[in-house]
Amino acid sequence: MADYARVDLDAENQVTFELNGRQVSAPAGTMLVDACYAHGVEVPIFCYEPRIGPPVGACRMCLVEVEGMRGLQTACSTPVRPDMVVRTDSPAAKDGQEGVLEILLMNHPLDCPVCDKGGECPLQDRSFKFGGGKSRFFEGKRHFPKPLELSSRIALDQERCISCFRCVRFSQEVAQDGQLTMQERGVQSQITTFSGDAYEDRFTGNIIDVCPVGALTSIPYRFVARPWDITNTPSVCGLCPVGCNTELTLRDGDVKRVTGRPDPNYEVEEGWLCDVGRWGFDGDGGITRLTRAIVRDANGERHTDLTDAVAAATVALRGASKPVGVLLGATATVEEAAIALELAGGALAGARVARLGIPAAPLAALRATPRAQLDEIERADLVAVVGGDPGLAQPITELRMRKAVLRNGARLVTIGSRPGTLADVATHVHAAPGALTAAVAELAAQIGATGRPVVLWDEAELAAEPAAAEALAEAVSANGATRQIELGADVNGAGLRALGIPATGLLEALEAGELGALLTVRADPRSAPGRVAWEAALEGDVPVVALATHADRTTDAATVVIPVQSLLEQEGTLVSMTGRAQRVRRGAEGPAGAAPGWEVLIALGHHLGAPPAYRTASAALAAAGGRYAGIEGLTYDAMGVGGVELPRPAADHLAADAGPARAAGSDGLALVATRDVYGGREASRAPALAAFHAPAAATVSPATAAALDVTDADTVTLTSPYGAASLPVRIVDGLSDDAVFVTLGTADAAAEALMPPDRGPVRVGVSVEARR
Amino acid sequence: MSLLTEQLKGFGITFRTMLRKPITLGYPENKTPVFPRFRGRHRLWQYEDGLEKCVGCSLCVAACPADCIRVVAEDNTEEHRVSAGERFARIYEINMARCIFCGYCEVACPFDAITLEHSYELSERERSSLIYTKDMLLAEHPKQVPLRTEGQRV
Ligand code: SF4
Ligand code: SF4
Ligand code: SF4
Ligand code: SF4
Ligand code: FES
Repeated sequence: MADYARVDLDAENQVTFELNGRQVSAPAGTMLVDACYAHGVEVPIFCYEPRIGPPVGACRMCLVEVEGMRGLQTACSTPVRPDMVVRTDSPAAKDGQEGVLEILLMNHPLDCPVCDKGGECPLQDRSFKFGGGKSRFFEGKRHFPKPLELSSRIALDQERCISCFRCVRFSQEVAQDGQLTMQERGVQSQITTFSGDAYEDRFTGNIIDVCPVGALTSIPYRFVARPWDITNTPSVCGLCPVGCNTELTLRDGDVKRVTGRPDPNYEVEEGWLCDVGRWGFDGDGGITRLTRAIVRDANGERHTDLTDAVAAATVALRGASKPVGVLLGATATVEEAAIALELAGGALAGARVARLGIPAAPLAALRATPRAQLDEIERADLVAVVGGDPGLAQPITELRMRKAVLRNGARLVTIGSRPGTLADVATHVHAAPGALTAAVAELAAQIGATGRPVVLWDEAELAAEPAAAEALAEAVSANGATRQIELGADVNGAGLRALGIPATGLLEALEAGELGALLTVRADPRSAPGRVAWEAALEGDVPVVALATHADRTTDAATVVIPVQSLLEQEGTLVSMTGRAQRVRRGAEGPAGAAPGWEVLIALGHHLGAPPAYRTASAALAAAGGRYAGIEGLTYDAMGVGGVELPRPAADHLAADAGPARAAGSDGLALVATRDVYGGREASRAPALAAFHAPAAATVSPATAAALDVTDADTVTLTSPYGAASLPVRIVDGLSDDAVFVTLGTADAAAEALMPPDRGPVRVGVSVEARR
Repeated sequence: MSLLTEQLKGFGITFRTMLRKPITLGYPENKTPVFPRFRGRHRLWQYEDGLEKCVGCSLCVAACPADCIRVVAEDNTEEHRVSAGERFARIYEINMARCIFCGYCEVACPFDAITLEHSYELSERERSSLIYTKDMLLAEHPKQVPLRTEGQRV
């Protein structure tokens, strides 16, 4: 991992000192290890990990000689000083380093052949490079029972632990879940949770990445491959709109592991991943994966190959006497969207292209204000979260906010109907659903009086309250130093908007009988918000051609189903919520019966008689980059491995993309539809994430439960003007009263049935269905 | 010298050689004995209690310059214990069509689980038969060859 901190050798206030006889310089305050590394001198380390926090000097591996200081110094906790004379390779320094390694290895088991870290183990590498090569220790080594299950996903081998405290510090200072601790002392030191229970939390997998030995290993990856059996591909997580940069570990044509990048993207995830991003790949296969094309016609249903299915799709789309609708799901890539737009301009002339998502118009002004990348949060003195619960919906942002508070003393304010996962570090300002505007006005005053505020705002909640969005846009632009970060709802929502694709219009046209066929690309309108309306509109005999990875409600009823590759299997570009265009890379081979989505769309163009002028994903993107202002000049080369930030959309971008004005009324309770990556469909498919699997529920505050006379053993029926759903009750403290919280994206899509397609404000009636 | 003496000299060699013991062997009835350190077909070894020595560590895979070994490891469990350690090789294959008999795998193995033995009769009618599986490697090769004894000159 990213063992050493980045050092800016061109920064102001450089300090000059002598390193192994050379005159070098580094900015004042830089730790010696980092300064040495920046000048090509590796000082071995184990416990130092600048992303976790300040050095603790636990392992003593980084001993160097500093002239004038007694004894050897730990370079990880010694800042550079002017004219200091440092030797990392003198006999004394080498003797110190060899000695520390000898002590570390004294009780270290000879496990390398059966240890999952073997081959990518810092302890192996540093013993080889800096060790003495011999041990004088012949006594018996310490023994612990092993391996233990630290959690359902992490195995702990206590014999291998070198007590570097990285995992404990991650738990205490980065995730701040307060669970891990070191028990006992000396050779008896053991990693455990305070309670002795399993370490189940949302960011636990990162301790595997930071552990410098094989003490903490991934259970799903246990004994699956060795570093020389695998290839690693840099990619991007496609499970939430943050777009964390990942590394895919591939063996035998499959993704076997997802880790943070060894060279983190500091503007996005800083090398951390949430547990869903790390283990969610597991759900990509599974029984619902579509492996063969399906064609349903007068003769019934038949499984068939791709060529036949594309031909059948062509018949279905060309047979329509009216224009065709093209619906893009949240994970449709930029390439797929661009090809779909090109089809709509030629082969399917007159087609109406839309995305499943939130209308853009109410948020256009806010999106046009100065935007930040996630690293800006660290430099802020005030961090405000308006609406949403980022720890569940855009998980990695939570770690940045915690870092800002703990390490930089930033003030964190959350505004909304629930305190969320940041409750322990934030000041929560309560705002009932529909009452964000007043809270935003209060926030505006605070922003005005602060030096470097960063405002994170929830796309879904502010779209439902356009007045609040406008007020926030004004507040952000009023103080020139303020930056905003969108907490997006859809994985590639920003990418589809950049191509000018609206969220509205298609369903209306379908309802009015103006469309002759529907082509869906990674979209499942029958499970999306407003699904009752979608189902009604699709009730007639409109043929549907569905491009999908997994069987869903739409593919169950579609005329032609074409299996496409998942975002672990094909090339593509996703635009994150902060406007970064980043590359998804081909990792796994995927089912033989599936093809990349972009390839299927190009094939459709050929069959429909208007072939596009390109044949590859990269050429499709380059062509789109020349056509759409939102992604101007975007190519794979331009994105590189770290992605590029796209220009901010103009304030009038997609100005017509608005749902009908909806007054929520005052009957019943306000419905708050939340997003929870951990409870979503993708997570529920992954066996490794079983610990997160929980049934969907209607969550209410204790007062609301009392008013409704329900307990959490009851099941209620929620009824809105758009549909109904029955859900078990869950009671949680701290939530807005007179509101019902439901989770979007769960397997049964109950919440979606209660909402209009544009996700406007909804109130629901509650009736008790079953008591226990 | 005359032509005749030349010819007589040549025939002399022929007749002398005719009376010597032939140095060719009647293969396959008779096989060339090999030196004890001859590197032939591989063998995977088990302990006396039947547990496999191989723990599936893949070090042989890393060492192999011909990239012809494939190991897929798995967990040993109480009910299903194959090797002494935590892991064992569920799949162990050597592609004998690619092996160059360098013996690096043998050197790399920390458990002396794999060695190169003496058999050299490895021809098959199909390439796919040259992929030796774990079962084949654990068993003794059916076509054994004799070892040279001390000082033996064939
Ligand atoms: S942690 Fe590293 S040194 Fe220790 S047994 Fe595992 S591979 Fe070997
Ligand atoms: S388990 Fe790993 S990260 Fe934790 S203290 Fe031990 S060696 Fe360090
Ligand atoms: S002997 Fe054959 S299998 Fe062994 S390392 Fe050499 S080439 Fe690979
Ligand atoms: S044969 Fe030896 S080196 Fe190869 S996997 Fe087995 S134990 Fe490891
Ligand atoms: S790296 Fe400096 S003491 Fe551990």
